[in-house]
Amino acid sequence: MPRPTRDLLALRGMGTAELKELLARSRAMIPAAMGRTDLSHILKGRAVGLLFFEDSTRTRLSFTMAAQRLGATTLDLASGGSSVSKGETLIDTALNVEAIGAAALVVRAKQSGAAHQIAQPAKIPVLNGGDGKHEHPTQALLDALTIAESLGRSAAFDLTGLSIAIVGDVISSRVARSNIAALSALGAQVIVVGPPTLAPKSMSTLGCKVEHDLDNVLPTVDAVMMLRVQFERHGGEGSSGASGGASHAAAPAKPPITPSSIVSVRAYREGYALTSARAAMLKPHAVVLHPGPINRGIEMDQDVADGPRSAVLRQVTHGVAVRMASLCWCLGIPA
Amino acid sequence: MARVLISGGRVIDPASGVDTVQDIAIEDDRIVEIGVKLAKSPADRIIDATGKLVVPGLIDPHVHLREPGAEHKETIESGTLAAAVGGFTTVCCMPNTTPALDTPEMVTFVDGRSRSTAHCRVYTVAAGTKGRRGEEPSEISLLARAGAVGISDDGDAIASAGVMARVLTMTKQVGLAFMQHCQDPTLTVGASMHAGEVSVRLGLGGWPRVAEELIIERDVRLNTSIGCRYHVQHLSSSGSVEIVRRARAAGQPVTAEASPHHLLLTHEAVGGADGFAYDTNAKMNPPLREASDIAAIKAGIADGTITVLATDHAPHSVEEKARPFEEAPFGIVGLETALPLYVESLVKTGVIDWPRLIAMMTVEPAKLCGLHRIGLGTLAMGGTADVTVIDPEQEWTIRLEDLAGKSRNTPFLGRRVGARVVLTMVGGQIRHERR
Repeated sequence: MPRPTRDLLALRGMGTAELKELLARSRAMIPAAMGRTDLSHILKGRAVGLLFFEDSTRTRLSFTMAAQRLGATTLDLASGGSSVSKGETLIDTALNVEAIGAAALVVRAKQSGAAHQIAQPAKIPVLNGGDGKHEHPTQALLDALTIAESLGRSAAFDLTGLSIAIVGDVISSRVARSNIAALSALGAQVIVVGPPTLAPKSMSTLGCKVEHDLDNVLPTVDAVMMLRVQFERHGGEGSSGASGGASHAAAPAKPPITPSSIVSVRAYREGYALTSARAAMLKPHAVVLHPGPINRGIEMDQDVADGPRSAVLRQVTHGVAVRMASLCWCLGIPA
Repeated sequence: MARVLISGGRVIDPASGVDTVQDIAIEDDRIVEIGVKLAKSPADRIIDATGKLVVPGLIDPHVHLREPGAEHKETIESGTLAAAVGGFTTVCCMPNTTPALDTPEMVTFVDGRSRSTAHCRVYTVAAGTKGRRGEEPSEISLLARAGAVGISDDGDAIASAGVMARVLTMTKQVGLAFMQHCQDPTLTVGASMHAGEVSVRLGLGGWPRVAEELIIERDVRLNTSIGCRYHVQHLSSSGSVEIVRRARAAGQPVTAEASPHHLLLTHEAVGGADGFAYDTNAKMNPPLREASDIAAIKAGIADGTITVLATDHAPHSVEEKARPFEEAPFGIVGLETALPLYVESLVKTGVIDWPRLIAMMTVEPAKLCGLHRIGLGTLAMGGTADVTVIDPEQEWTIRLEDLAGKSRNTPFLGRRVGARVVLTMVGGQIRHERR
């Protein structure tokens, strides 16, 4: 009997045992992810729908590789050339890809809640590849796997006693939300760090600490995750759903008013960039992560990104393993 | 000549202080007699209202009828049918149509459409600025002469203090109330729900209370030297209640209205049962807030700070509400369900009694819109026969088929409520009856 299928939409609310199971399965996938063992029989003959309604390089290629390593083909949708640009709704597109024959759907969209919305009518598993500012579960799983491996915790994925900083534009970050949920559930203390405009105190309701002084935090942590400064989310046009005052009726669109949360690159760097000097404040064993894409020289210096503490490329390799494990887990494939 | 007798009901007419079991006789469009045990004949129709409440036709000073421009959501005909089903005999429509109701010609258009298609009385609240753009005052004197009963840019606040001062001055001159949609647009960029724990968890832009409070605070200050009647629409925040309370205590001509959803639901409704629902029927402007806000609004209703109960009836199509949360439009329909929901939140909980509830849905909105001067909002001998009959104990479940308008965007489907409108009479004609 195959196990029932399920969605992977958010890490908040997922039990610790399930998280650890997913991580253990991901760890077991690492050799296959690197091409050292062959698991292409597992999803042979099946297709994974990749619905990337928002631009992505890493996550899309990573899911593509994960599907291929498992022997599946991909139905790859790029929003520019799809019917979404003709006005088709996300749900219709998703249900059509399901009808074409996909066994699972990976959804990336700029709207928070988009994957949940698609999962309701879809009869096949939906994996959230990042929804707006809400969650990015597979990213946080690969981050947790990388942290656990780097710090010798990958036997049981118990992160008790570890302190992990997430630095930057945390309020706009789906990566941060998934990581806060997962790392806290695994026992770590998460500290989000940023200026009050990007790391407001209200984020403490998610179960993390909120700090504004990076120099105070860095010497205390075992891992630091630098977030990308998301200029496109602070540049007016890119701020999603700028409803302004257009409320009840279809009022004419108004020019968005830009929330100038990031005043300038130099002002941001002065307080929150991981420079070489700041990296020197870290504990000897501390590891540096970044979900990518990196704005080199903005949130992180070249020497740090490419330095000995950097786990950035290991994160990416782990991403393939996590996505292989997630596809199997969602499709009810036994471990 | 047709004579109808509504007999044996508890007649509540807050405007005259009446609250007693009486009969009401109607001939054509007028109330001709109010008294105990009126003669049963001659009568063409006797309506037995034993055990029921007989009240002035309800008046809603805040609805969106969507005509012209968005007739797929609602029309004057369909919206007023929803009104009649909900016990409303008069509705005041907001000007955020396409084009906006910002000229006397548009007021006349609504008037004409209402006369030919409406199921109840319709009056226009006209825009305070041209195109509702908040830049240049509209022809407020001509709007008033054409029959506008209030001035508002509803859907948007007039954000510029300079423009607002001129609009208040012009509105004061014609004797109307200015009704403000209190939302500082610079504080709500990208916002789609209350700024709080749920918005942080769901990754949705947060709409802080201060976006509402700041506009009220500013307007109260601006209006100190102008003295226009100033009305706060669909108040949602505890701080707003306090600002209005202070202004009224200082003798300023300030009123405020509540809406049913801000009394019954919190921001948790966006997450729904599983926490991730992103329920667009819980997306409102202003947003659903927290239990402490509900408590403050109830306290404001109990102590007379808030005097008007409206619906903010805001129809949207199924397709529009099926969009992703941040892209879906704000608002819910409310006309068919407002009375039982207000009964549930305010009367059954002991915040106010039936006569005060009826006052807040009849004579108070009538005064706000100057409709008391033409005899609306009361049951008077010789007066207009706008009458609503309510079964105050009828238990029922709100279902799709109970909605009479074109749209069905409400989070209250499936909710059990305990009062129901059973008859709506507009100008002596029965426009809705539940037998």
